[in-house]
Amino acid sequence: MSSKEDILKRYRANVKEQFDMPDLSDIAGVTYPDPLLQFINMTKSVGGNAIEVAKGRDINEIIRELYPEAKEIASNLSEVTIATRNPDNVSQASDLNGTDVGIIRGTFGVAENACIWIPQTMKEKAVMFISENLVILLSKSQIVNNMHEAYKRIEFNDYGYGTFISGPSKTADIAQVLVMGAQAARSATVLLLDESD
Amino acid sequence: MSTQHSKAAKAFLKNQTYAHWHDATFWAVRTKRDNMAYGLDEWEQLREKASQIKRHTITHLDKYLDQFATAAERNGCEVHWAKDAKEFNEIVYGILKNHNVKKMVKSKSMLTEECGMNPYLEAKGIEVVETDLGERIIQLKGQAPSHIVMPAIHLSHDDVGELFEEKGISNEKGNHDPTYLTYRARLSLRNEFLTADAGMTGGNFGIAETGDIVVCTNEGNADMSTSCPKLHIAAIGLEKIIPNYDCLAVFQRMLCRAGTGQPTTTYTSHFRKARPTADHMHIILVDNGRSEWIGNPQHWEVLKCIRCGSCMNTCPVYRRSGGYSYSYFIPGPIGINLGMLRNPQQHSGNVSACTLCLSCQTVCPVKLNLGDQIYQWRQQLDDFGTANPQKKLMCKAMSMVYGSPGIYNLGTSLAHWANYIPSPLMNCSLNPWAEGHNMMEFPKKPFHKMIKDYE
Repeated sequence: MSSKEDILKRYRANVKEQFDMPDLSDIAGVTYPDPLLQFINMTKSVGGNAIEVAKGRDINEIIRELYPEAKEIASNLSEVTIATRNPDNVSQASDLNGTDVGIIRGTFGVAENACIWIPQTMKEKAVMFISENLVILLSKSQIVNNMHEAYKRIEFNDYGYGTFISGPSKTADIAQVLVMGAQAARSATVLLLDESD
Repeated sequence: MSTQHSKAAKAFLKNQTYAHWHDATFWAVRTKRDNMAYGLDEWEQLREKASQIKRHTITHLDKYLDQFATAAERNGCEVHWAKDAKEFNEIVYGILKNHNVKKMVKSKSMLTEECGMNPYLEAKGIEVVETDLGERIIQLKGQAPSHIVMPAIHLSHDDVGELFEEKGISNEKGNHDPTYLTYRARLSLRNEFLTADAGMTGGNFGIAETGDIVVCTNEGNADMSTSCPKLHIAAIGLEKIIPNYDCLAVFQRMLCRAGTGQPTTTYTSHFRKARPTADHMHIILVDNGRSEWIGNPQHWEVLKCIRCGSCMNTCPVYRRSGGYSYSYFIPGPIGINLGMLRNPQQHSGNVSACTLCLSCQTVCPVKLNLGDQIYQWRQQLDDFGTANPQKKLMCKAMSMVYGSPGIYNLGTSLAHWANYIPSPLMNCSLNPWAEGHNMMEFPKKPFHKMIKDYE
């Protein structure tokens, strides 16, 4: 007998009373009068930065102003013209090491916890984590209230990977002192774009 | 009469400064959790739903496991099933050997700890590098975790600073600033991520409908572990499977709020398959006792646990005795229960580490009745042959005294004569009631008499 059959057989023999799935449609998830404002405040409270970008402003200029020292900038987004590296074209993921600023795009944000859904849209997802500083482009009209709404919206493409990111990488593993920048991005800036027509 | 736990706790309490810090630190985490819980009107509703989802899922696991495995295979993953720790370790080694892996980076996984995977692989010549900062620290120190979410909480920044100096991770002698030490660890681990041949993650959740492995971290180490190496192995216990995203939303909202008092972990990552530039992804589903535990009429609900750690943060005994006072590798209320399911003979010493205050089950996000279960384990100690003979004798004596009003009244009216026994005799190490403080004084008039006189 295979281990799978063995495990399932033993489980079926042992399980006693069975319980029904509860109705989840009545969960009263938190909502906000101004989800965008809540998202911005929450982003700051988790150690990130959120900037509302006026319509027509060039994001490349803003990123240059935010990171004047940055030498290596990685992105595969067509609107990013200052990139020096493209995660679609590197020969291996580790070539993205040493990236000062990585620029990616999120699909929507979540007001309750500042999560942004980021499906993989590049060959090497390392750019989302290996970069010293992360810039996430997000349409400011795309903010949902809570994770219940968020999980109804997430979509995958053929890369088969996606992540919610909320703020920069952090740890408190040394004596419970909070430090930003554990193993992934040391800072996270969300550029909130006005993309309405 | 001391248990293994109380003896170990005594050693922990010798360093009072640290013991106070430990207590206050975890109470602060509990307070942060409260702020998060009170900040959501629906918190109690979420707990109830979470409990019901888990009750449903763990009593229909055969269906959900099958659904999960089918979905994951359709996504292109290879799914393995391990009956026990031995088979799990062999499967991991087999995969690593096939891919000629010399070094594997891994994110935190209590399951691999449970299975003793690291020592097994190291004995076979494979280097395993923990990448969660806390786990890395204790790995370098040759220690086991003292908390499931904050594994290096028993070490001060000076301890870590000295360790990093000794291991050549930091180069500024005497600089024990946590920010500096974290930065040095970042540089060292970055090098490990870039040179490892494989990355292993645990999984907080497996989604039956879609085959996703969902991993929650603050450091981003699970994502770093799977972004560069050519091979990803994910290992999860059977009970981590949940039906779908609607259920996941409930748990994602609670896991971190309950565990660390944050609104979310920084990363909530969904893995369905390998990167286009990597070999295909392996998922190992591990039983190791779980399919037996579901049949335990009193303790099957332990399988509801989502490993947030909130029960240990709030536990007055954990806070004042530390993770190493418990004989099982997972401490606190959940660890007491898991240890007893694993091996009651070996871990009975932990069931005394509970005041039955039930704070644990009051905060538990899946409403697991941890304290009630500890009480039930205590009733079974005699069956396991681990009941304390002195305590048994005392219980017999007490039932005799309390069962007979004559003996009871005689005893309470004579008790105050004990006050005349010279202090050195009374407050000596032979008297368990005089441990840590002086023996109490007995009142001249027993309570019953006082009430009668008052009336």
